[in-house]
Amino acid sequence: MKSEMTALPEILRNPAVIDGPISPGALDDQVLAHVYRKPQTVWFIAFVFSSLCMLLGFSMIGYTFYIGIGAWGNNIPVAWAFDIINFVFWVGIGHAGTLISAILLLFRARWRNAISRFAEAMTIFAVMCAGIFPLIHVGRPWLAFWLTPYPNQRGVWPNFRSPLMWDVFAVSTYFSVSLLFWYLGLVPDFASLRDRTVGKIRRAIYSLLSIGWRGSSSHWLHYEKAYVIIAGLATGLVLSVHSVVSFDFAVSLVPGWHMTIFPPYFVCGAIFAGFAMVVLVLVLTRSVMGLENLITRYHLDVMNRVILACSCLMGYAYVMEGFTAWYSMNESIHHTFRQYIFGSYWWTGWLTITCNVLIPQLLWSRRLRQKYSVMIFVAIGVTVGMWFERFVIIVSSLHQDYLPSAWHIYKPTIVDFGILLGSFGLFFTLVLLFARVLPVIATTEMKAVIPGAQPGHGGGAHA
Amino acid sequence: MNAKGTRILETGTVVGLLGIVTTLVVFGRERFWVNWVVWLLFVLTAGLGCFFIVALEHLVGARWSVPLRRVPERLSSLVIVMAPAVLLGLLSLPHLYPWTKPESLQDPVVAGKAVWLNIPFFAVRAVLCVGLWLIAYRILVSGSFRQDREKDPRFNVRARRFSPVFMVIFALTITVLAFDWISSLEPTWYSDIFGVYLFAGTFLAGLSATTLALVYLMNRGKLQEVTPDHVYSLGGFLFAFTVFWSYIAFAQYLLMWYANLPEEVVWYQERLQGMWGPLVLILALFHFFLPFFILIPRDAKSDPKRLCVVAVLMLVSHWLDLYWMIFPAVGKSPLFGWPELSFALLFICGGLLWVRHAMTFGADMPVGDPLLQEGLEFHL
Amino acid sequence: MHKPAFSILGLFDSAQALMDAIPIVKCGMPAATIETYTPYPIHGIEKVLGRRRSPIAGMVLVMGVIGALAGLGFELWTSGWDYPLTTFGKPPWSWQAFVPIMFEVTVLFACFTAGLGMLFLLNRLPMFRHPMLRSKSMPHITRDKFALAVEAEGQPVDVDAITAVLKGVGAISVEVIEQPAPSGPISPNFVLRAFGAIVVSCAVAAGLTYWAIKLFPVSAPMSHMLDQPRLDPQREEGFFKDDFGMRLPVAGTVARGYLPYTIKNQDDAASLTNPLPGTASVMQQGRQLFNTYCSPCHGLLGNGQPTLTAAYGAKPANLVSQTIRDYPDGKIYHTIMAGKNAMPGYPAELTQDERWAVVHYVRALQRSQNAKDLDIPKEIK
Repeated sequence: MKSEMTALPEILRNPAVIDGPISPGALDDQVLAHVYRKPQTVWFIAFVFSSLCMLLGFSMIGYTFYIGIGAWGNNIPVAWAFDIINFVFWVGIGHAGTLISAILLLFRARWRNAISRFAEAMTIFAVMCAGIFPLIHVGRPWLAFWLTPYPNQRGVWPNFRSPLMWDVFAVSTYFSVSLLFWYLGLVPDFASLRDRTVGKIRRAIYSLLSIGWRGSSSHWLHYEKAYVIIAGLATGLVLSVHSVVSFDFAVSLVPGWHMTIFPPYFVCGAIFAGFAMVVLVLVLTRSVMGLENLITRYHLDVMNRVILACSCLMGYAYVMEGFTAWYSMNESIHHTFRQYIFGSYWWTGWLTITCNVLIPQLLWSRRLRQKYSVMIFVAIGVTVGMWFERFVIIVSSLHQDYLPSAWHIYKPTIVDFGILLGSFGLFFTLVLLFARVLPVIATTEMKAVIPGAQPGHGGGAHA
Repeated sequence: MNAKGTRILETGTVVGLLGIVTTLVVFGRERFWVNWVVWLLFVLTAGLGCFFIVALEHLVGARWSVPLRRVPERLSSLVIVMAPAVLLGLLSLPHLYPWTKPESLQDPVVAGKAVWLNIPFFAVRAVLCVGLWLIAYRILVSGSFRQDREKDPRFNVRARRFSPVFMVIFALTITVLAFDWISSLEPTWYSDIFGVYLFAGTFLAGLSATTLALVYLMNRGKLQEVTPDHVYSLGGFLFAFTVFWSYIAFAQYLLMWYANLPEEVVWYQERLQGMWGPLVLILALFHFFLPFFILIPRDAKSDPKRLCVVAVLMLVSHWLDLYWMIFPAVGKSPLFGWPELSFALLFICGGLLWVRHAMTFGADMPVGDPLLQEGLEFHL
Repeated sequence: MHKPAFSILGLFDSAQALMDAIPIVKCGMPAATIETYTPYPIHGIEKVLGRRRSPIAGMVLVMGVIGALAGLGFELWTSGWDYPLTTFGKPPWSWQAFVPIMFEVTVLFACFTAGLGMLFLLNRLPMFRHPMLRSKSMPHITRDKFALAVEAEGQPVDVDAITAVLKGVGAISVEVIEQPAPSGPISPNFVLRAFGAIVVSCAVAAGLTYWAIKLFPVSAPMSHMLDQPRLDPQREEGFFKDDFGMRLPVAGTVARGYLPYTIKNQDDAASLTNPLPGTASVMQQGRQLFNTYCSPCHGLLGNGQPTLTAAYGAKPANLVSQTIRDYPDGKIYHTIMAGKNAMPGYPAELTQDERWAVVHYVRALQRSQNAKDLDIPKEIK
């Protein structure tokens, strides 16, 4: 059997999930050590930089609260701009984490175990960044609780028919379910930490967080079943949350927004942008934290292939949008699509296509796919491209819709940019804190896939 | 299959053939061609769905599906069988499609599209689709049969390299199929998710056909090494894509209902009025509710009996879906009479006869595939 | 030797060793309760231990269905029954628009049932006092060892025999875990502290709620829409010199429908003529206005005998007397407009047309109080 496998052409061989032999104890030592020791200088530099960006963002938000939305560049007709672009951007980035931890679990893809913890953490942080924007873009954010359906003396209920209300429910459900799923995965790891830690206070915290986990067979029985069920349900969430976000646009009549392909197109774009962010962060993390044997080149290769596949699907979606826009024979839609390419914001349209469809095609070549520089270049390109795609959809469509008398150019202000920078600062600050405080790899799940970990099956085929 | 079964199918095919000829003579061209198009698309998409399954397996390098792969490979030969039917179907254009009539050009919307919706270009697209499918079949499926004898692992490499190209071909051709043959029946209507919608139905049809064929072979004592774990994975896909189809169908409906644009809503209005309404409820029941709730339990996904029930439901509802999308173009009420019956006899019996024949293509498992052993050892 | 113990734990080096040991131990001690502790889930161990399936799937299905019905039901009730509103032209019972939220609520209910149900109900976590957590073996278990425990839960068991069995199947070490001492009744100190904690948290919560509802919304910047630079009624405003926010209309402001009336005395008004025709509707209007404005002093019959005379001393004119009958219309009009003696004028209460209608009615009254035989209809005679 082994000799048959080595006779396989290289392109067909699935490399082992872990590079090189490792024992469960050594795995624990390698990953959990980071939780105990002081982080390296590069971590501190990164943390200071991202915290500064985050603080800048928060002060800009405070400024916006104080003087109102006039601090931004929003106008009529471009009533939605950076606020909603950033919201959709960050919610999208969160989807890769759920795909990796939930959908790949259902596919029994063992390689997901090394990156699922990090990816799920990124989901939660991305959704936190996203959730800021709907909150701050309303004129009176302190009244945001009006969105919840509580009995009030006005006698009015929120408008459940509005996609903005659907967003409230979808994003909050997504956040709470992701948090629950992430925490459940962390419980056995907290138990490991509890049993390794000597300091009293830290040990007490880990004991509290691990809620007395013992790893008994009945624990694992219920745990495994619940975990798989939540993974299945979270898969439905991946599809539905970004579809609901796309409904914000697609149920309207703005030319260029009312396209039925929006739901799956947005979901695909979300996975696309999310995987790019995951690749970007993991390429850096695995070398800085010395985890190259656990987060292997194979992981990066598969993720790059997913990015490539999504890029092709985005290309299909763009072709479909363009074709259907022409096919509709609707003058307003024709005008809007001409604006995407030749209008005031023509460069954003071309940037989107280049970054989302053309640049990722570099990943067809196996040789290029394995170079870190290419990976990082494509990942940054995709992140930029996906942000600009939302810009094109929102600003380009809005600034010239049906009534020429209402046409108006949009110019973002320094406050807009500050908040955008701040959201990146918040995200990376949270990621850096996570890497410092919690085990970045799900050691329990990894131990289960070390060759020889399970009885009786030895090195048999998995998925 | 025993001789008695074969004779029933042969009789059914002959009766069906005679039936469709009488349909043409008695009921008229429109009724003939609308049935032709519905059944053509049904069998074609079932074959294309199986073709897609094969290509997907090569694309992701899945191991669990290798022992099963021969089943969808054999079923994808339905695409070859339907190729002449597609070309014959081009004769339906003047009778079914409004944009072929010169007076339709008075509507500026249709006139603007005439550069796309004209008979020569339509025919070119159809021929291109068929041609690309035939080429892909030769590379992916014939190559797999050849590998049984030659045991050459280079086929896997070729298939792995070709499968992304096939995916592009598949995406574009299924979109062309949907836009040209179904949505152009009402040329002023458009929906850019339509290609994805037909894809969802196609994939499900392919999965269902594969499931039925697989269980049929297993009941006949073949494919003994296929374990419940393999069947569970297939059942999982069936379950997941039931949800996917429902999501796409509902998304299209919700968006058109919500925006309430006259040029879009009219398509749904025609398909919800009168007796079409109850039909839609049956469609929702068969395509989503029943399969979903039947397949929720973990055991159900590896139980061949329940999977067969769901697969049959899925194929019936895929036909109902096509019927519901296409027939309102020819009448305000659902038509069901001798024409529909005879076409059903012809295509079902004829299709099953071909499938029975296809089950003799190659070995029951891709014995030349170096990944087969890993696939047989698969466990959850 | 028999000794009460919680459990006797044997540690194994690999999952395979554990799996092989379980059937042997079960054979040797059929009555014993066996539990395993592993750093990760072992495939197939539930079957070997004879555990039943987890009921969680059923719980999730039930709660998911409840979530779907609750979500959809709530939306339909609020938007279709409690306060039906037609928004975006959609009818109140528009189920299509309610599907997305229904789906999300279903997933929410199902996921939390799975997660929290598993933790709280099925695994009975959090549980911080389990004897295993303080055992010497636990750190090994969470790291890389696999444990098979023969659980006694306080009953006396033959410790040595069990230890021998475990060592016999390949355990690298055996640990006896003591039954923990039963916890005593809750101490009064604890009760006091708990009560204090509840009181403090209620006070804090109350304070926070008060701040959130009463103080926070009216502090800057939340109050920016309330404190607007505008003039409010009945408030001191420094904008004008006299500190009044409410101002009189500018001099020369004229009300709508105003017509100038320059006649100063009754005799000059004699030349005015009634521009209105004496139609039934004018008479009706005149009657209604007379009854409203004139009858309190002049009486309903216009004879100067209202109900008020005794009350305030003035003597209103008898409008149906010969004197007033001899007045030209203009003089009556002028009296209504400008007043006479104690009677005020009615320039603001009545429009010009209304006053002329009243004049018509006064004439009718005069005729009615001085009727002739001819005025009586034939039917009544």
